[in-house]
Amino acid sequence: MTQDNRSGRPQGRPPESDSRLSRVEAQLRGPFLLFFVSAVVWLLVASILGLISALQLQGFGGLLNGEAFTFGHVSAAQHNLFIYGWAFNAFFAINLWLTSQLGRFELRNAWLVTLGALVWNVTLTYGVLSIFAGDLNPFSLLEMPRGVGPVLALAFVLAAFWPIVAYARRPTGQSFASQWFIVGASFVFPLTYLLAQLLLLWNPASGVVQAIVHSWFIQNLLLLWVGGSALAAIYYFLPKVLGRNITGYYLATVAFWTFFLFAGWTGSASLLGSPIPLWVQSVGVVGSAMLLIPVIITALNFHGTLSADGGWSRAWNSTTLRFVCFGAVAFTLSGLINALFSFRGYNAVVRFTSFGVGQEQLLTYAFASMVIFGAAYFILPRLTGALWPSAKLVHLHFWATALAVLGSVSASLVVGWQSGNQLAGASGLASANVLFAILFLVGHVAFALNAFGMILKSTAPAAEGRHD
Amino acid sequence: MNDSNRHPDNNRPRRAPSGAGSDGLSDGRLVEVHSQLAREKEEPAAGFSLTPIFVVFLFCGFGFWAGLYLTRNSGNFAPSAFDLDAPKLPAGGEVFVFEPSAEKGQVLFNANCAACHQPTGLGVAGMFPPLAGSPWVAGNEDRMLKVILAGMVGEIEVKGAKYNNPAGMLAIGAGLKDGQIAHIATYVRQAWGNNAEPVMDTKVAEVRKAIAGHKAPYSPPELLKEHPLGTK
Amino acid sequence: MKNTKLLIAGVFLTVALPFGAILLSSQAQLGELGRASVGEGEPLFPSRVPGLAVQGRDVYISVGCIACHTQQVRPAGQGSDIARGYGARPSVARDYVLQPQVLLGDRRLGPDLANYGARAKDLSSVHVSIKHKGEFAFLYSGDAERANALAAYLLSLRQDYSSPEAKLKK
Repeated sequence: MTQDNRSGRPQGRPPESDSRLSRVEAQLRGPFLLFFVSAVVWLLVASILGLISALQLQGFGGLLNGEAFTFGHVSAAQHNLFIYGWAFNAFFAINLWLTSQLGRFELRNAWLVTLGALVWNVTLTYGVLSIFAGDLNPFSLLEMPRGVGPVLALAFVLAAFWPIVAYARRPTGQSFASQWFIVGASFVFPLTYLLAQLLLLWNPASGVVQAIVHSWFIQNLLLLWVGGSALAAIYYFLPKVLGRNITGYYLATVAFWTFFLFAGWTGSASLLGSPIPLWVQSVGVVGSAMLLIPVIITALNFHGTLSADGGWSRAWNSTTLRFVCFGAVAFTLSGLINALFSFRGYNAVVRFTSFGVGQEQLLTYAFASMVIFGAAYFILPRLTGALWPSAKLVHLHFWATALAVLGSVSASLVVGWQSGNQLAGASGLASANVLFAILFLVGHVAFALNAFGMILKSTAPAAEGRHD
Repeated sequence: MNDSNRHPDNNRPRRAPSGAGSDGLSDGRLVEVHSQLAREKEEPAAGFSLTPIFVVFLFCGFGFWAGLYLTRNSGNFAPSAFDLDAPKLPAGGEVFVFEPSAEKGQVLFNANCAACHQPTGLGVAGMFPPLAGSPWVAGNEDRMLKVILAGMVGEIEVKGAKYNNPAGMLAIGAGLKDGQIAHIATYVRQAWGNNAEPVMDTKVAEVRKAIAGHKAPYSPPELLKEHPLGTK
Repeated sequence: MKNTKLLIAGVFLTVALPFGAILLSSQAQLGELGRASVGEGEPLFPSRVPGLAVQGRDVYISVGCIACHTQQVRPAGQGSDIARGYGARPSVARDYVLQPQVLLGDRRLGPDLANYGARAKDLSSVHVSIKHKGEFAFLYSGDAERANALAAYLLSLRQDYSSPEAKLKK
């Protein structure tokens, strides 16, 4: 505890030079690693499923045919595992670590978190197996059978409620942007998830209102939980690693409130032209455009911080920041593209094509997942007390994933735009997507090898830390 | 073990001086400094002093645009509006077809015209000309529509008899809708033994537009010059 | 920002506002929507679907057809759906009031199916389409019960009637 106050002096000396883990970190080491390992395992499974579905789209479906492996099942399972398996587990871990660090919060009930992690991942496994068995709902990211919903919500509360407790109990009155975003995200997800479950699966709303509810849920999930958590990490790692203040930080409050205020309104922009009342569609367009305000402010914050004093080149030479900055740029880009293509003229062309897939990948992968990778490169060595086993694998990981996501997103966007302009109906993705799926898989395997190698090496200092 | 050993960047040469090392800001310091920044609303870096004003303008601009966009693109918040282009074509995309109706025309005629021209269409001798069998209401419909829309003053001869009402005919059609006038004209042209084509509301709108500059009532010679009797 | 309760309350409000303004009010506007006819004595639309088609809808959902097929026709000014022949008029909310789970879909790797029943030539062509070059041959195992149900469902998909909100041009 005092260790940190000590280092509140000019930024001259490397702080926290104690080899043992701080008490704060020792407490959450177990749950963190459990979440993290689950996340990486799900990421690998999702990448394999992604490769299978890319092959299926190219007509190589004969490799894996039959009832369980229809394209509908494989893509739904891949989507769910990527979001609920990879992104959720990873952000459970990172959010817990971040808020504990920032609020000096000692996790006393680690067993509850562990329980939450186990329940979450077991339920998710059941839910995904149900999808393959053909027991699925026709709403994307709510495909898992309806019994799964309440259990997942309970597990979420067990796993992700702690940032709110940590925030409420922080020792000083001071707070930081990362904390707000994490508290908001942790609060919003279970609420919207349960409401969406109720209005879609348990007591379905009437007719097309279901589509409105669903689009609202998806935006809350992707923007507020996934996006909000990733923004929290960027707000932390930029000043932390660069050792300087966020440029224009006083605007971060505005960014936070406008982000949460407008994100919930953007959903129906994905329903332009659908049989829902015109005013609902237009409200979605307005929401998407208003979301530019937080996008612009975070861009001022992030890119301003990076632009001063050779920040970009220093970021490039730090593994953590290289990933995190990739994510920060992707977020700005994603916000601009989403706003532009929520306008009727453009949306009319790209709707129902692969363009939407590209937009989502830009948000959930190029932005959120890259930030997760960056955070992992920072946090894991501290928690395990070990080095990353191979620098080459780190390089391979970055270049494989960066090239794959750049290629995949731009292919989706370009092909979507082209096929929307042709009257001949939407075509499949470019065959290059098989290549990108392989590239993703290579990058993820490199990351997993490196991370698991490090975790396996780390048992000794961990025990030491735990008996602190 | 030094903390920096655990950082991945040890796998590569460190470029930055230790003062700006990878762990340059401790967590406690990070929170403290930024809390202070948020409180003071001061920006040490030069060149960003315009930012708050810029953000305020941004907000106002977005708010203004949002209101404008919603009023224009919301179909009056009706649950039945799905198509942005639909309001231009009433009744869900189908072109609304006007059907001139002599029955409706009769009701309107009795309410608006019968006081002078009489329900029988025979008018009053010397004062109000008859409509039954009158060549003025047959043939080209522009003539009677101009009279209805702008009024008429002066002596008029119908079927050999002269009529002159000092006040003339009022511009009674100015206060009626195109459809109503079309119904009335259709009734007049088809009642009491008259046998002329019905009049469409679009024709009324056309004439109303054409004589928009003609404020004064017409005189019979002027009308006859424009539309001689018996012509189509 | 310092007060945790205020922060939570503010975030709650940001969730509650769009929930009330979009979700609850659209449910209030559309919740009571039922079948309707365009005129006195005309038949009510959308029609109720036969029992086999109801089973077919379950097959449609369970196989995951929605991953590639949408069921909605956008207005002529918003996309080229009508030009592509997916329907004669835009879909409206009333077309979906009888569906327990609305299958609008958001991706078209295959054609839109909102009007499939109206444009299908005959039953055998429907079965050719269902098989998708053999990938879905498993539906024909046994006595092809599921394939028949799915075909009945696909044939029941039609929006070729006039609705009060969207009349067909004569």
